Amino acid sequence: MMHPRKSLNDKLKTWQMAGGVKQMIADILERGGRNKMVIIGFSIIIVMVALAVLAPVLPLADPTPRQLDPADQTLSPSSHHWFGTDELGRDVFSRVIWGARVSLTVATMAILVSLIIGVVLGLTAGYFGGVVDYIIAGTIDLFWTFPAFLLALAFAAALGPSLSNVILAISISYWAGFARLMRGQALTVRERLFVEASRALGAKNGRIMFTHILPNCIAPLIVWASVGVADAITIESSLSFLGVGTQPPTPSWGYMLYRGIPYLEEAPWIATFPGMILLFTILGFNLFGDGLRDVLDPRMKGLRR
Amino acid sequence: MADLVAYVIRKILLAIPVIILATFIVFLMLYLTPGDPVIAIAPPHASVDEIQKLRVKYGFDQPFIVQYGKFLWRLMHGDLGTSVGRATLNLNVGDLIVQRLPRTLELMAIGLAISYSLGIPLGIFSARRQNSWGDRSVMVFTLVAYAMPSFWLGILLMLLFAVYLGWLPAEGTVGGYGSIALPAITLGVGNAALTTRMMRSSMLEVTRQDYITQLRSRGLPEREIIYKHAVKNAILPVITVIGLDIGWFVGGAVVVETVFAWPGLGMLITTSISNHDFPVVQGCILILALFVVFGNLMADILYAYVDPRVRLG
Repeated sequence: MMHPRKSLNDKLKTWQMAGGVKQMIADILERGGRNKMVIIGFSIIIVMVALAVLAPVLPLADPTPRQLDPADQTLSPSSHHWFGTDELGRDVFSRVIWGARVSLTVATMAILVSLIIGVVLGLTAGYFGGVVDYIIAGTIDLFWTFPAFLLALAFAAALGPSLSNVILAISISYWAGFARLMRGQALTVRERLFVEASRALGAKNGRIMFTHILPNCIAPLIVWASVGVADAITIESSLSFLGVGTQPPTPSWGYMLYRGIPYLEEAPWIATFPGMILLFTILGFNLFGDGLRDVLDPRMKGLRR
Repeated sequence: MADLVAYVIRKILLAIPVIILATFIVFLMLYLTPGDPVIAIAPPHASVDEIQKLRVKYGFDQPFIVQYGKFLWRLMHGDLGTSVGRATLNLNVGDLIVQRLPRTLELMAIGLAISYSLGIPLGIFSARRQNSWGDRSVMVFTLVAYAMPSFWLGILLMLLFAVYLGWLPAEGTVGGYGSIALPAITLGVGNAALTTRMMRSSMLEVTRQDYITQLRSRGLPEREIIYKHAVKNAILPVITVIGLDIGWFVGGAVVVETVFAWPGLGMLITTSISNHDFPVVQGCILILALFVVFGNLMADILYAYVDPRVRLG
C-alpha cells in the first residue's frame, strides 16, 4: 500500500512534467545518475569532449607539421611519443586528440542538423495530421527505408570531400529517425488533456507545438541524439576510411586507420591507437544513450533499432 | 491466403516509391558534383566535340525533368551507362556490376549465416541465465561488437589471424576458401550483436507468457519447453529484422571489401570514387539500394507468411 502523500507527490510530478522542462531535465538527471551504464558513458563523453576542446592548449606536438624529419618515421611508442609516430613522422597521440575534435564536431553538427529537420517535420506531421501528415510521413518512410550508409556515401561521393559536405551527407541519411520519433510522440501527446486545455485558452498552434508537445519529447530525443552521435561518428570515420570524408592532412580517425593498414606488421600503433580511441568514444555515446533509455522507458529495455 | 496476397501486393506497391527515390538520388548525384554534370560522365581528356555529343545524347541541354525521364528510360532498358575510369574505359557499367555482384552476395550470405548462428544461440543462452555472469559477459560482448566500426574490427582480425598467427590470408584476391573467412567474420560479428540482443529480449518476453507457465506446471522438461515451444515464437521478431540486417550488410560490405581488397561491388565503389568513375559509382549504389529494397520486401513477406497476425495489421 502506497503512502497517500507519496502517491499525490507522484501525481504532482507527472503533472509538472507536462509543463516544466526544468523539472523534467532534473528528473532525467536524477534517474540517470543511478544507472551504471549512464555514468560510465557520461564519463567517457566528458573525457573525450574535454580532450577535443582543450586540444589547442594542451602541450601536444603539431598534428600537421610542415617540416617533417625522416628520422621520426614509424617510431614505436615511447615517453616522448606516447602512441609512437606515423609513416610520415607525425606524433600519433597528438593526431588522435586532434582527430577527436574533428570527429566530435562533425558528429555533433550532423546530429544537430538531423534533429532540427526531424523535429520540425515530425512535429508538423504528427500535430496537423491529414494531408500534411500523409505527405511528410511518406517522405520520412522513404528515407527511413533507404540504407543510411549508402545514402551518406552517395552524397559524400557526389558533393566531394569536405567537412561541411560530410555533415550534410550524414544529416540527409539520419534525419528520418528523429522525424519518426517526433511524429509518433506528437500523435499521442496532442490527444492529452493539457493540450486541449491550452487550445481552449486560445493558444496558437505554434505555441502548443513548441511549448507543450516538444518538451514532452525531450527524454526520447536525448536518448536518440546520444545514440545518433555514436552512429554519426561511425559513419564519419567510415567515410574518411573510404577516402570521401575528412581530407588529409586534417587528422581523422578513419583515415588514420586506412593509412595504418600497410604498416600493420612493422608499426601496428599507427592504426591501433586511433582505432581504440574510436571504439572507446562510440562505446561512450552508446552506453549513455542505451542506459538512459533503460532508465526512462523500461519497456524498451534491450531493444534497439 | 487471400489476405496474404493482398498484403504482398500492398508491400510491393509501397516499395515502388522507394525504388523511384533511389533512382532519383542516383540521378541527383550528377547535379551535386561541382561543375558541369556532363564532365562527371565524360571520359577523361574528351574533346569539346565529344562532350557536346554526350550532352545531347544524355539530354543535358534539356530541362531537368526531361533529363531524369531519359535517365529512367535508359535504366528500364538495362542501360547503366559506360565507365569513364582509365582501366575500364568505355566498358558497360552493367557488365562490370554483374561481374562483381556474385562476390558481394557470397560475402553477405556467409556473413549472414555467421551472424545468425552466433546471435541466436547466444541470445537464448543469455535469456535463460538472465542477470548471471554469463548473461552479463554476452551483453558486454554485444555492446562492444555493436560499437566497433567494421573496418576497425577487420583490421584487428587481420592483425591477429593474418599477421601474427598467419592462419588466414589477409586479402580477398588470393582466392580459395580461406580468403572469405576474415571478411565474412568481420561482416557477421557486428550484426550478431544486434541478433543476440533481439533474440535475448524476445526470449525473455516469450518465457514470461502464460502458455510457458502452463507447460512448466504440467511438468515438461525445461529443455523441451525452451527449444520446442519458446524458441519457435521468440525467433519471429528476429526474422522480421532480416530486412534491416540486409541494409546493415550492404553498408558494411562496402567498407569490409575495401579493408580486405575483396573484389565485390563495395570495392568497385571505392576504387571508382577514387578514379572519378562516376557512372560506375551511380550504377553500384543503385543496384545495392535495389537489393536492400528487395531484401526488405522478402523479409516482410516471410514474416507475414509465418505470422498471420501481421497481414491484418
